[in-house]
Amino acid sequence: MTLDLMDRLKILADGAKYDVSCSSSGSSRSNSNGVGSAASSGICHTWTSDGRCVSLLKILMTNACVYDCAYCVNRRSNDIPRVALTPDEIAELTIGFYRRNYIEGLFLSTGVVRSADYTMELLIQAARTLRQQCRFNGYIHLKLVPGADPLLVQQAGLWADRVSINLELPTRESLALLAPDKTRDAVVKPMRQVSGLITVNRAERKASRKVPRFAPAGQSTQLIVGATGESDRQIVTLSEQLYQRLDLKRVYYSAFIPIVTDSRLPARPVAPLKREHRLYQADWLLRYYGFAAHELLDEVHPNLDQDLDPKTGWALRHLELFPVEINRAGYEELLRIPGVGVRSAQRIIQARRQGHLGIDDLKTLGVVMKRARYFVTARGRYAGEGPFESNMLRRKLMDAPQRPVQLSLTLEQPAGLITGEL
Amino acid sequence: MAACYQYDGTLDGLLTLYARLLPDRIAPEQISTNLPDQHPLFSSEIIITTDHVVAEAFWQGLTRRLSPHSLKLVRRCLLADYPQQELLLYRYLLLEAEQGRRIDQMLAHPHVAPVWKLSQQVGREAHRYLGFVRFQQVQGELYYAAIRPEHRILLLIGAHFAERFSDQQWLIHDKRHNEGILYNAETKEWLLLPMELHQQPEAAPQEEQFQLLWQHYFSTLAIPERMNLKLQQGKVPLKCRDVLTEFCVLPPADSR
Ligand code: SF4
Repeated sequence: MTLDLMDRLKILADGAKYDVSCSSSGSSRSNSNGVGSAASSGICHTWTSDGRCVSLLKILMTNACVYDCAYCVNRRSNDIPRVALTPDEIAELTIGFYRRNYIEGLFLSTGVVRSADYTMELLIQAARTLRQQCRFNGYIHLKLVPGADPLLVQQAGLWADRVSINLELPTRESLALLAPDKTRDAVVKPMRQVSGLITVNRAERKASRKVPRFAPAGQSTQLIVGATGESDRQIVTLSEQLYQRLDLKRVYYSAFIPIVTDSRLPARPVAPLKREHRLYQADWLLRYYGFAAHELLDEVHPNLDQDLDPKTGWALRHLELFPVEINRAGYEELLRIPGVGVRSAQRIIQARRQGHLGIDDLKTLGVVMKRARYFVTARGRYAGEGPFESNMLRRKLMDAPQRPVQLSLTLEQPAGLITGEL
Repeated sequence: MAACYQYDGTLDGLLTLYARLLPDRIAPEQISTNLPDQHPLFSSEIIITTDHVVAEAFWQGLTRRLSPHSLKLVRRCLLADYPQQELLLYRYLLLEAEQGRRIDQMLAHPHVAPVWKLSQQVGREAHRYLGFVRFQQVQGELYYAAIRPEHRILLLIGAHFAERFSDQQWLIHDKRHNEGILYNAETKEWLLLPMELHQQPEAAPQEEQFQLLWQHYFSTLAIPERMNLKLQQGKVPLKCRDVLTEFCVLPPADSR
C-alpha cells in the first residue's frame, strides 16, 4: 500500500460525505463460505463529530467529472485535484475495513469519467471483484450513473444490495437550472427501470429461490433541500409519489450547504438543518404512521412549522379528533397522538388487555407525556390542565422544554427502535 | 420471614437459588453474592450452594414454560450487571409463577416494567457492540478485539460475529468482566471462556496501515458546519472510546 492511497482516500471520502444516505439496513444476506453478512436492522459502527452514523465505507471512485452541476464540489469547472481509486483498490480497502469490523459494507459513488457507461462499468467491476474474488457477502450500495445503459443498470442491481440515483432537485426546472448536463429523464428512467426489475425479481424469486436477487435492499434517492425555491409541500408530495409509485425504500433530504459559490445558488439558506429535520419527521409520518402528504401540508400551510413537529402541528389543526381515550382508541388512532410512537402504540394495545390504563401507566409504556398529555384521556381523565384550545395548546407545546433536536438525520432506525419521537 | 440470600455469583448459582426459593413463594429481602471477602453481617443470611443439576433442570423448565418474549427478557436480565438485578428478576419470576403467560401483557406492572427496562438496556448495549467491536490483526492470524461493556453481553453477540467472520480466527475479550469469546474458523465453533490478558498482543504487519487509513477516513467524514459533539457523545459515550480505533490519538502528520 502506498502512502498516496491515504491521500486519495481522504479526498474521495471528502467528496462523498455530503451524500447523506448511510443506511445499511433492509438486506439480509447470510454468509455462505466467505466473509460477511448483511444485518437486516442495520448497524452503526461509529458516529462522526457532527453526530452522523457511520456504517459504510462511503467513497467516490473518482472525483473527476465531465459534468458541471452548480451545487457540487466535483463539478468540472471547479479547480481541485482529481484522483481515483481502481476497482481492486476499492475492494481491498473494503475488505480490510470490514474484517476489522469498522463497517457494514461499501457505499460507492462517483463522478462521471469519459461517459456514463464507462463509469458505470468501473463501479460494477469493483462490486464484482468484491463478490466474486473476495467472496464478500456484506452490504454494497452502488450509485447508478444518470444516463447509463439499461443493461448496466441491471447488472449493478445483481451485485449490489441497494442502488440509488439521486433526483437532487425536486422539479424539472430546478434541475435544468442547476444541473444543465443532466436531464430529468436520465435520472427518472433508470429509477423506473429498477423499480420494475425489483418487482419482477420479487415475483420470480417467489417461484424459485434459485433466481439471483436483484437489489434486495431496494432503491433510494436524495433531494437537495434549500438550493432552489420549492416548498415543503412540493417536496413531501414528491416523496409520497416516490414511495407509492416507484416503491422507493428511502428518500433522503440533504440541507443545502454552500460549498461552492455560484450566482444561481442562494448564499446562505435560512435554518437549513431545522428544515431538513422537519422533512425527515414528515417523511417518517408518511412511511410509518399512515399519514398522507395532503394531511400534513396544503395550500394554506405549504411549509412545515419550524416550531412544532409535523404530527403535533397536524393534531392542533384537528382538535375535533382529540382528546382520544387511550383505553378505546384503535391502533391507527393511537399512532396519530403526538408523543405516541409505533412501539408505544403497540404496547398500549397489549397492556390494556389486562385492565384499563391510567395516565401514569402511559409513561411506563414509553409515551412522551410532555406532548401526549394534551391529547389524551385515560379512564375519562384529562391530564393536560387548562382550556382545550388550539392557541393555548400551541404555546404550551412550544414552551415545553424540547429535547435537543436530534439531527442524526441519516440514521436508518430499525422500526423496532422507534420510540415516541413524533 | 424475609431473609437475605447469598449465592456464589455464577449463573448456575443464581438459577439454583431461584429453583430453591420459587416453589415455596419465598420473598427474600435481598439477594447478594458472597464474594470471598464479604462476611455475612447478620446471621439471617442464608447461603445457597450452587448445584449444576438443579440449575440446568430449572433453566430447562423455564425454556419450556416461558413465551419466547419472556424468555428473551429473562436471558438478558441474567446477563445484566446491575445492582439488585437478582431480586428484580426473582419478583418477575414469582409473578410469572402465579400468572403464567398472562405476564407478557402486564407491561405496566411494577414487577414487570423494571425487568423490561433492564432487558432493554442489555439488549441495546449488545446491539451497540455489534458496531463497537474493533478487531486488530495480531500475530498468528488472529483478529483480536477488546471491549468494556456494562453488561455481560458476549453471549448475545457471539452468534452474529460467528456468522459474519466465519472464515477468520477471532477473539473478543470483555475486559470488564474478564471473559472472552474465542472463535475457531476450522470447526466453526465459539466458546465463552474466563480470560485475563496481561500484555497487549503484538500487531500483524499490515495492521497499523489499516488503522491509520481508518482513522484518517473517519476524521474526514465530519461536516464542520454541523458539528454537534453532544449528539456524538450520546451515541458514542466517552467510556466506550478507548476501544474504538477511530477515537485513539492520531499520530503526528509528519509520520504519515
Ligand atoms: S454529475 Fe455528479 S459528480 Fe458530476 S458534477 Fe454533477 S453531481 Fe457532481
